[in-house]
Amino acid sequence: MKTRNILIIFLTSTVLLWSCNDAIDIIQPGELNPNGAFNSVADLNSGLLGVYDIFDLSPEIQFNAVFTDEVAIGFDNGGQGIGDGEYGFRLNAGSDAPTENWISFHGALNAANRIISAGENLIPDEGEENELINILGQAYALRAWAHFHIISYFSTDYADDSALGGFLVDFIPSVTELLPRSTNGEIFTLIEDDLNKAETMIAAENASTSVSKDFVVALQARIAAYRQQYALAETLASELIAKYPLATRDEYVDVFKDLSNVGVIFKLERTIGDPHDTQNSTGSGFGSGWVGANFAFVNGTIDGSPYYEMGRSLFNEIDPLDIRFDVLLNETSIIHTDDTRDTLVIGKYLGNEKELVNDLKVFRVAEMILIRAEALAAAGNINGASNSTAALIKELRDARFGTDQPLPTYASSEEAFGALLDERRIEFAFEGHRWKDLKRMGIRGNRGILRDPSDCAINNACSLEPTDYRFTMPIPIIELNANPNIGDQQNPGY
Amino acid sequence: MIKKMKGILTLLLVLIVQISFAQEKTITGNVTDDTGLPLPGVNIVIKNTSNGTQTDFDGNYSIQGNRGAVITFSYVGFSTKEIAIGDNDTINITLNQDAAMLEEVIVQAYGTTTRATSNISVSVVSSKDIVDRPNASALQTLQGQVAGLNIISSSGQPGAAPVVRIRGVGSINGNSEPLYIIDGIPTDANAFRSLNPNNIESVSVLKDAGGTAIYGNRGSNGVILITTQKGSFNSGLKIGYSGTVQYSNLMGNSYDLLDSPDQLTLERTYGELLGESIGRGSTLSLDEIAASETTNWTEVFFNTALTQSHNLSLSSGGKNTRQFTSIGYFDQEGILEKSSLQRFNLQSNIDGKSSNDKFKFGVNLAVNYSSSGEPNGIGGTGINRNPILGAYQSVPYISPNDYIDGESLLSPLSFANTPLFILDLQRTQVRTEDEVQLLGGINASYEIVKGLTAKVEMTSEYRNEELINQEDPESFNALLFAQGKDPSGTQTIQNTRQFSFNQVSSLNYNKAFGKNTLDIGVFTEYFKAHYQRFGFSAEGLNPLTLAIGDDASFIGDTPDDDAYVDDIFADRLESGLFSYFTRVDYDYDTRIGFTGTLRRDASFRFSDSNRWGTFFSLSGRWNIGNEEFMQNSGFDALKLRVSYGTTGNQYIDDDPLIPGVFFDTPNDSRDLFGTGTTYNAQNGIFQVIIGNNDLKWETTTQLNLGLDFEVFDRRLRGTLEYYDRVTSDLFLSNPISSLATVFNRDDTTLNRFQTTLSANVGEIQNTGADLTLNFDIFRSSLPDGFNFSINLVGNYNKQEIIDLANEEGEIINGATTSLREGGILGEYYAYRYAGVNPDNGNLLFLTADGEETETPDVDNDRVFLDKNIFPDFEGGFGFNIDYKGFFASTQFRYTLGVDRFDNDLEGFQDPTNIGQFRSSLELLDAWTPTNTDSNIPALNASNLDLSANSDRYITNSDFLRLRFAQIGYAFPEQYLRGTGFENVRVFVSGENLFTITDWRGFDPDVVAINAQASANLFPTGRTFSLGFELGF
Repeated sequence: MKTRNILIIFLTSTVLLWSCNDAIDIIQPGELNPNGAFNSVADLNSGLLGVYDIFDLSPEIQFNAVFTDEVAIGFDNGGQGIGDGEYGFRLNAGSDAPTENWISFHGALNAANRIISAGENLIPDEGEENELINILGQAYALRAWAHFHIISYFSTDYADDSALGGFLVDFIPSVTELLPRSTNGEIFTLIEDDLNKAETMIAAENASTSVSKDFVVALQARIAAYRQQYALAETLASELIAKYPLATRDEYVDVFKDLSNVGVIFKLERTIGDPHDTQNSTGSGFGSGWVGANFAFVNGTIDGSPYYEMGRSLFNEIDPLDIRFDVLLNETSIIHTDDTRDTLVIGKYLGNEKELVNDLKVFRVAEMILIRAEALAAAGNINGASNSTAALIKELRDARFGTDQPLPTYASSEEAFGALLDERRIEFAFEGHRWKDLKRMGIRGNRGILRDPSDCAINNACSLEPTDYRFTMPIPIIELNANPNIGDQQNPGY
Repeated sequence: MIKKMKGILTLLLVLIVQISFAQEKTITGNVTDDTGLPLPGVNIVIKNTSNGTQTDFDGNYSIQGNRGAVITFSYVGFSTKEIAIGDNDTINITLNQDAAMLEEVIVQAYGTTTRATSNISVSVVSSKDIVDRPNASALQTLQGQVAGLNIISSSGQPGAAPVVRIRGVGSINGNSEPLYIIDGIPTDANAFRSLNPNNIESVSVLKDAGGTAIYGNRGSNGVILITTQKGSFNSGLKIGYSGTVQYSNLMGNSYDLLDSPDQLTLERTYGELLGESIGRGSTLSLDEIAASETTNWTEVFFNTALTQSHNLSLSSGGKNTRQFTSIGYFDQEGILEKSSLQRFNLQSNIDGKSSNDKFKFGVNLAVNYSSSGEPNGIGGTGINRNPILGAYQSVPYISPNDYIDGESLLSPLSFANTPLFILDLQRTQVRTEDEVQLLGGINASYEIVKGLTAKVEMTSEYRNEELINQEDPESFNALLFAQGKDPSGTQTIQNTRQFSFNQVSSLNYNKAFGKNTLDIGVFTEYFKAHYQRFGFSAEGLNPLTLAIGDDASFIGDTPDDDAYVDDIFADRLESGLFSYFTRVDYDYDTRIGFTGTLRRDASFRFSDSNRWGTFFSLSGRWNIGNEEFMQNSGFDALKLRVSYGTTGNQYIDDDPLIPGVFFDTPNDSRDLFGTGTTYNAQNGIFQVIIGNNDLKWETTTQLNLGLDFEVFDRRLRGTLEYYDRVTSDLFLSNPISSLATVFNRDDTTLNRFQTTLSANVGEIQNTGADLTLNFDIFRSSLPDGFNFSINLVGNYNKQEIIDLANEEGEIINGATTSLREGGILGEYYAYRYAGVNPDNGNLLFLTADGEETETPDVDNDRVFLDKNIFPDFEGGFGFNIDYKGFFASTQFRYTLGVDRFDNDLEGFQDPTNIGQFRSSLELLDAWTPTNTDSNIPALNASNLDLSANSDRYITNSDFLRLRFAQIGYAFPEQYLRGTGFENVRVFVSGENLFTITDWRGFDPDVVAINAQASANLFPTGRTFSLGFELGF
């Protein structure tokens, strides 16, 4: 063969064997692998912020409002609440709200466990030991909160330790791992343990937008009330009542404009540019994004396209002299004196830094007062000028009205619980409590969901008894698909 | 005996004498086909003599002949030509392929073959069925032309990429689009927006494993090979021009929509029922209602659209080089206001060879520029964003004259003002996409020793798209979401760049011994692609200095607040492949042939241990028609083919945000963390992806049986094929327990939590048959005689889910489709709607057991309905006529077995839309206590919400459509003599002339194929064209 041919074959072979590795060994720009994620205390703190970020009360605010009697279909409604049946008390394994509440809080558990695991194995640099302990304490507290949140939506009975809750997760789950539901008792044991650790490890005594020792106490108080461990609840609530004053009327208005933190024990910060700063899907039980967008498309006024308005049955309960009337109802609302239908624009989430964007209040001292009032009612101390349910409700109302309010008297414990539910309905309207409150106290207080007849003409869904199975959410279908083991652990009625 | 011998000798002598008297000379020349490729083995005979020869491998010949004698050139599959010997000693000739189909040249993977020696399933569409059609994307023109090629329009936007499937849907999550190769450049359906269809020489659709396995990793959904035109060797300059002018308009619908008086009356009635004021109807008197004017908003938002197209081509060739150059200009208005496409194309193909024919090279380059106006929000529910929603759903009593400006729409803010929001949007929004596309390739080959050729081909595509979207600060939307900013408004500029490089190096050995031909090739292929997207969204524009693509109007941020903080973004992705493969081809006497291919591919998408995939194919044929015993059978050709093989798919899942498939899901095999904004807008670290390290190639195994035949003197030609295509290790989203879920901050949709994991689970099967028939009913032997032919293509496809790899054999989700073993893909899974309860006007459904209920249970009462959105039968048919220069053709397209949600109708019949949107006539007949036998539920029925999860609006959308029709006249040669023109043709044509369907909407063809519910989509239009072609 001619030399030239050999040369050509050689050159051709060279081309054929063109280095292939740059075509198949490709790591995309900016990838961070798990081993590189948490190698310092500072990184672990960044990870903790990622856990905080998952906690979002906007979906539960949406659900508690739309599924109960807090809202009515607004004049600018485009099918929200109707199309998916949420306003018609439609709740099943495919519904948005159970899907969101189940998944997002288990997602929070997963993220918290990763911080706990990384933190327990991290050797801090000198001088960073305390910071590491502080981070871990917050992660334990957040893990407890997530576990409790799941129980509050998916357990049939908060006070029954043998009822089923969610999953008990104190480890980093693998993607193929499947668990059965654990009982409330098992989960509460872990929650108590986590909160006890948190209380000793967290550095801050109080801090409005991050988890502090006071957060831990407030969460313990709420858990105790939900579990009807009222002696404990009263002690814990009293501890915070002593530390946090009730807001004045002006302060109360400012609290919901995010201009004041008086009476606020903990709130989730929402600010421009954070991952929740988006309109997101309006009118869905997923309810993430701008919290006010759960009720209006554009802003919190009558020109903001309110697709939900305040429910008339709630409106009828609020005294215009009560500062809460001003907070709950936007001033652009149109209230007629005759029979013409009012336009009741929800005013709680007008927005501060941005339209419809407000911090999400998690624990306020008013809840501690009402928890204590509830504990007193359970103990039979319903009437009297001090240390009674009536006295505490008066104390709260005095602050909200700015004038001395009459001391109520209750003929029975049922009446007292009913009054507690009524007070909570106004105090915590659109803050994500109503459904849970009816679930745990509705029977004791003889209250259920009751809409004004004009609010339910559109679909005839006017009332729901507190004994209804829909006061427990179903395990979402998305979980049942992945985890057939819990198919027989679905909640009753679904 | 001796005497006889003597006689013969005498005869010979006489002949010799005669020849010597008749000025015998040597004629040499070259024979090529009409694309300029040399034709080896052409039979060349001096007519009425036994003097003959054949062209050599390069098409050259030499023959002795007398002046005045006639040389006959004949070659299987080409029209025979006769040329008289004149003064010239050189006769170069181009043979044209004749109509007979079995002998055409087929472009196949990494080379060409002929129909007779092809073992594979391939359909070819030639340029004549593509040129001068008014569709901006050539793919749309292919609708109904190829058996087994399903092309669904996704939008009427000029140049929109349709959804293309070959032989059913081959993957559930993974990519199921075919591979496109344009002149050797691997690309995707998005490349066609800027491509000039008039430059296409042929489109080959490779359907079976025999054809696609050599593409290994990319061939699992079939391959569409596009070759552009080339010049011819030894030809003078030819100039061609074609131009068309087109008008398009909206097709009709058969929704019975209410006019203003009826709409207002319905609002009034509904308001009385609810005790509320509903819409304008509740506020007007009966007289005012009766006097109200009706606006048909589709006429406001859709227009008659004008298109013009011009193409100029120049081709020429010398002895060793040839070139083809074309310039194209295309300017199309969409039927929807503000939609448009303007395109400029320049293409140049040059190739040549050394004089000893050992070295060959080719260069092709296309420079394409397009600029489109693309309204967005289409298909969405944004009343302030989706112009189609404005056109369809708007109440008729509002008039365009009610529009003042954006600000006046703010208060009162009302859904009923939807058409005015959209009018404002159209007047204020500027949204353009400019795309530059460069397609280039070079190839060179050298014949090292006889039969052994080394070749290298390098191709690349560069695409740069600049999207500009400006929301005017004084527009309704900007004011509405101003969030306190004054002025508001945004300008987004996004630049997306894709570059891909592909190199194939090969060594090929070809040897004929006796009647055997052997061809062996070894190849390597290297592919690398880069994606970059970057841009910004500027917050706040000063209305005085608004300028598209310029920052004159941008407003800077101040320290006081973060209102004017701009959003900046950048993404970079890489994609690559490396493969080596071989092909062995054997033929015996064009009677029996075998081909085997073997390919190894590596993909960066999988972990090291799963990276390589091996794919193979075996195919064979028996040209029964060429056997001795078939000589008098009546068959002009008969060929049996069989192929079996595997192909792979590495495109795990589609990312709708990234165009094409190359860059989708690039790191699904790894657990990944990320950094970014978290709680309180502080920088944080979080998990982003749960990876699946076990991901591996999805593999499709296909068996194909084919029969090609020609009978009745080649007047009836056809192909019948059966295929069985099984996709295993299917890419599917496997549900994971929420234990392991991860919060995805980048995703602002509902799927913010990852609840599934991409995995290889399950198996699906597509079985079916393709039929292609062409029948020349009249075929004249005269050049201007009467010819009439009919054609038919059809495909039947049946899908079945074989295995889903979970215990239940079902994957049920919350939506209206689910999967089950034994079922079809995307099977509807919903409540069965059973009409209206005459007692209370509520909706009735059936439970799983068939009992009537008003409250079906989501877990138990949804059932599989054995219906889906994919067709069972589909194809096209038509005829071609020509006579004395007149020509006419039609092309019908049909689709059977498609069921879709009629979400538009659902909107028209939804009582909660009353007062905000337009309603259909049926709602007037809704159930009332006095109208109890209605089939429309009461307007305030308590379970209306369940309708959407039922089959109430699942509607058959089968259709038969006159997709294309054309009549024209080609001036006969005698009229053109002396004019300088070689050919002149004029024609008129129409697209989508009529449609027969039960579907009530505007266009049964436009589907959002992946969306379970899709309303307010952009329909394709009906188009009339006038065009002419000139050749010099």
